[in-house]
Amino acid sequence: MKRHLRLVPLCLALSSSLAIAQAPIPAAEPPPPRDRSQAIDISSGEWDNIVNIDVSMVIPDYREPWNAGQPTGGSGTGFLIGKNRFLTNAHVVSNSTRIVIRTTNDPEPHPARIVHIAHDCDLAIIEAVDDAHFEKLNTLQIGDTPKLNTEVSVIGYPIGGERISVTRGVVSRIDFRPYSHSGVDSHLAIQVDAAINPGNSGGPVLQDGKVVGVAFQGYNGQVAQNVGYMIPTPVIKRFLKDIEDGHYDHYVDLAISDFSIENRAQVKALGLANDGKGVLVANVEPAGSAGGVLKEGDVLLSIDGNPIFNNGLVRVDGDLMDMNEMVERKFSGDEVKVEFLRDGKKQTKPVKLQRFIPYLTLGEHYNQRPRYVIYAGLVFQPMDRNLMDALQIREPTVNYVFDNYLNLKLYQERPEVVILTNILTDDVNSYIQPYQQNIVDEINGVKIKSLNDVKAALAKKGDKPDFIVLKLLEKGRPLVLKRSLADEAHTRIMKTYNVTEDSYLGND
Amino acid sequence: MKHLSLIALIIAGSTAYSLAQSAAAPATSGVLRPRPPISGDGLPVPRSAVIRTDSLLKVNVTSQGYNEHLPWQKESPGQRRGLGVVIAGNRVLVTGQMVADANYIELELPEGGTKIPARVVGADYEANLALIESAQDNERSKAFFKGLAPMEVDPVAHIGDTLAIWQTGRVGDLIVTPLRVAKILTSRYVLSGTNFLVYEGQGIVRSEANSFTLPVVKGGKLAGLLLNYDSKNQVTTVQPGVIIEHFLKDMADGKNEGFPTMGVEFQNTQDDQFRDYLGLKPGQGGMFVSAVTPGGTAHGVGVQKGDIMLSINGFKIDARGDYEDPDFGRLSMSHIVRGRAYVGDKVEMLVLRDGKELPLSGKLIRKDPQTQLVWPYLFDRGANYIVAGGLVFQELTRPYINTFGQEATGSILRLAHIAEHPEEYEEKGLRRIVILSAVLPTPSTQGYERLGSLIVTKVNGVSIKDLADIDLALKSPKDGIHTIEFEDFPHTIHLDAISVERDNISLLGGAYRIGSLKRIE
Repeated sequence: MKRHLRLVPLCLALSSSLAIAQAPIPAAEPPPPRDRSQAIDISSGEWDNIVNIDVSMVIPDYREPWNAGQPTGGSGTGFLIGKNRFLTNAHVVSNSTRIVIRTTNDPEPHPARIVHIAHDCDLAIIEAVDDAHFEKLNTLQIGDTPKLNTEVSVIGYPIGGERISVTRGVVSRIDFRPYSHSGVDSHLAIQVDAAINPGNSGGPVLQDGKVVGVAFQGYNGQVAQNVGYMIPTPVIKRFLKDIEDGHYDHYVDLAISDFSIENRAQVKALGLANDGKGVLVANVEPAGSAGGVLKEGDVLLSIDGNPIFNNGLVRVDGDLMDMNEMVERKFSGDEVKVEFLRDGKKQTKPVKLQRFIPYLTLGEHYNQRPRYVIYAGLVFQPMDRNLMDALQIREPTVNYVFDNYLNLKLYQERPEVVILTNILTDDVNSYIQPYQQNIVDEINGVKIKSLNDVKAALAKKGDKPDFIVLKLLEKGRPLVLKRSLADEAHTRIMKTYNVTEDSYLGND
Repeated sequence: MKHLSLIALIIAGSTAYSLAQSAAAPATSGVLRPRPPISGDGLPVPRSAVIRTDSLLKVNVTSQGYNEHLPWQKESPGQRRGLGVVIAGNRVLVTGQMVADANYIELELPEGGTKIPARVVGADYEANLALIESAQDNERSKAFFKGLAPMEVDPVAHIGDTLAIWQTGRVGDLIVTPLRVAKILTSRYVLSGTNFLVYEGQGIVRSEANSFTLPVVKGGKLAGLLLNYDSKNQVTTVQPGVIIEHFLKDMADGKNEGFPTMGVEFQNTQDDQFRDYLGLKPGQGGMFVSAVTPGGTAHGVGVQKGDIMLSINGFKIDARGDYEDPDFGRLSMSHIVRGRAYVGDKVEMLVLRDGKELPLSGKLIRKDPQTQLVWPYLFDRGANYIVAGGLVFQELTRPYINTFGQEATGSILRLAHIAEHPEEYEEKGLRRIVILSAVLPTPSTQGYERLGSLIVTKVNGVSIKDLADIDLALKSPKDGIHTIEFEDFPHTIHLDAISVERDNISLLGGAYRIGSLKRIE
């Protein structure tokens, strides 16, 4: 049984819009009018502040990182929340090369650009290049977290037509859920049973005229029905507060994992009171916020005075939620007080919250040109999710290191794992072809801890200065190139394989 | 805790998956799997073949492997049917695959259909060979063998020779298919890491019911046993007579010592830049030693990583790792040790170290699978295990890792990595890797149901070096509580000792029908 049900971000991809062009199904009898239903006069411009976002994008090519990548397109929804500020999902505008916004009553496309983008919570702010058209429009107000079983409307430009669409349902569940855009983040998410379809992404979910969420993901129809998710207002408000200083600082994290205490023997052995409070600290990332404060085996009793139950939940605004919700609403540099039991003694200590960078390796990256170094046909790239997904590497050592990068804390020794991904065949490297797709351990005696180390290490002269010697992780044979031959081949290979630049190391 | 909660889910997911899988897909016995069925039509019988049907027997086997995840339980029984060859002493030669995990073996005369029960005299699962004989020494058995004549083994065939594959039809009619030897090389047999000599030929072998083991014959002598037929590419692979002869000589004293191994990893030295770097002279042969297995032959002889292996037992090795074999022509050097020598024989090597030639000598050994950190294979028995209150502890085996197949992620890739690189754990003094393989839900294990594939480090404060350590440590809970520690998440769990005893009793009879709470062999 696989536990991963793939959540699908609901941005309308260009290709799928073509594929889903089916014969329209005759509309069923309209449902009997409800108390809340109310006719909307589109021509009055009432929903002109909810716009269609049409995006052209280029998907980066991790196989040939020197190439630009594959052009494609997609479409989603956004809405006005301030003067020339449209809120939408990060995944709607990720990897974009051109953004155009349209209202339902206006045939004119308006070019737009990204102001802020937060991949970890799948939100972005975009603006019209010329805001004259949108100046007079009302902005939508952000409301509170809606109550369970209350009615909401989802408005946007989903698949099935060109004009604005509205669907209606109730709040089905409020829970801490994975956000599929980055693949590694989980935040509060609200499940609704209103139809949320590709193209709804970034659109507002309204209740009593106010925004209570941003529609963002759902399940493939074969997995679950009438399950759509929206980003709730605590997450939206946190994002808007974070960017107030003009800069997005990302979510912070305790970087620990907890283990529910359900077993009576565990309660007794850990010396806990039988009051249902306390969760076991089962793993602590030494480089994370709680590293040095918490230890494996501690029992976490409360965060900021809010008691933690045996299953890791806390009560927030009256509801039981994952204890991480206490950290979720904080910002980089903020502190939380953790109360914990260690060796039978209670202690309270502050934890200064920060981002945990190694998570990024495991998450999806966007709006980034793939980084690489190429020398004498040898292509070096940093190991990250995008690369692993693109290359489908079979080499067991590489998969082992990627899958255990966090739990074996391999990031400590090797913050950025560098892989010899490809060897562009030439006379100089023909014999070492079989060794591609391996992890580079050392070059000329220099330990490789990030891609930025590669160039200097290649230039370094080791014990045998006429040779360049690469040591691969868990491979007993060094790869050896004669420096003079390799230098000469480098220019030739670049030309033959149409590689324009011999490296891209990023702009930071 | 963004990603970490996901890790916990993955661990849980894989356990649930494995249990579900073993329930849904039984009848897989570790690494040994029946080969795809043979199909196609026969070719005309070559006139040169001398046909002796009085050395051929049908062998019918009912086999039943153990469940890798619920090791007290056996999978559903399966049938294998093949042909055996009668050799001296009324013994019958078949492939190792035939008799692996056998519950019941019988011999059947192809024509009359008379049957007698049989038993295994000895098996070498690495060389994929087994010897069987009548289960009883009585009149019935004597009568059975009366009309049968032993066949001799022909240890050498050459490229271009035409061999004959023998099959029998339903009523004992002999079906003969010619096979021309196109290549002689070393190749993997059934288990991983078993490189032996094979003959390879092109042609079609027909599909018959008794095709699990088939003899390959040359001039009335046994030239080999069919190892594999790839119907897509029409490639037939044969285990040759020379390996069979080795096995039979080895078995002559009733004990199987097995085939010696070098215990090294080699890389070729064809790359000119690499040769310059190593200081090899033009035209000089030799293979680069990229790893030496601790406790193996090469390790004992004194070979070091970085040496260039120039010759073994006087056979010069070229830059690709081949030598000139007096019987078979150019062959991979592995045959010098595996095919031409026996365990305990003296071995001589010449290596190039720091530019100087260095003669080394020592004894050929075979690393006993019984002494390895991770069991490489397991036949005719189940994995060692202990059930305590619902926690299932096992000694890690390759077959267990293999059940995850392509689905292996995280913790399973980790276990596979340890099986591949056991040195770190061996240095810590571990004899086996002991894992918590599954958790059966009981009152004692409340809250632990989703744990699985975790490496156990300590039980009640005692370091765990093999399963027997756990058995002993579980006898001394502290203050009525068992403490189990793992290498990583969730690090430590506790169980109530009295509750464990109570649950053990109900596990023996209850829903799981565990016949015995432990197997430590």
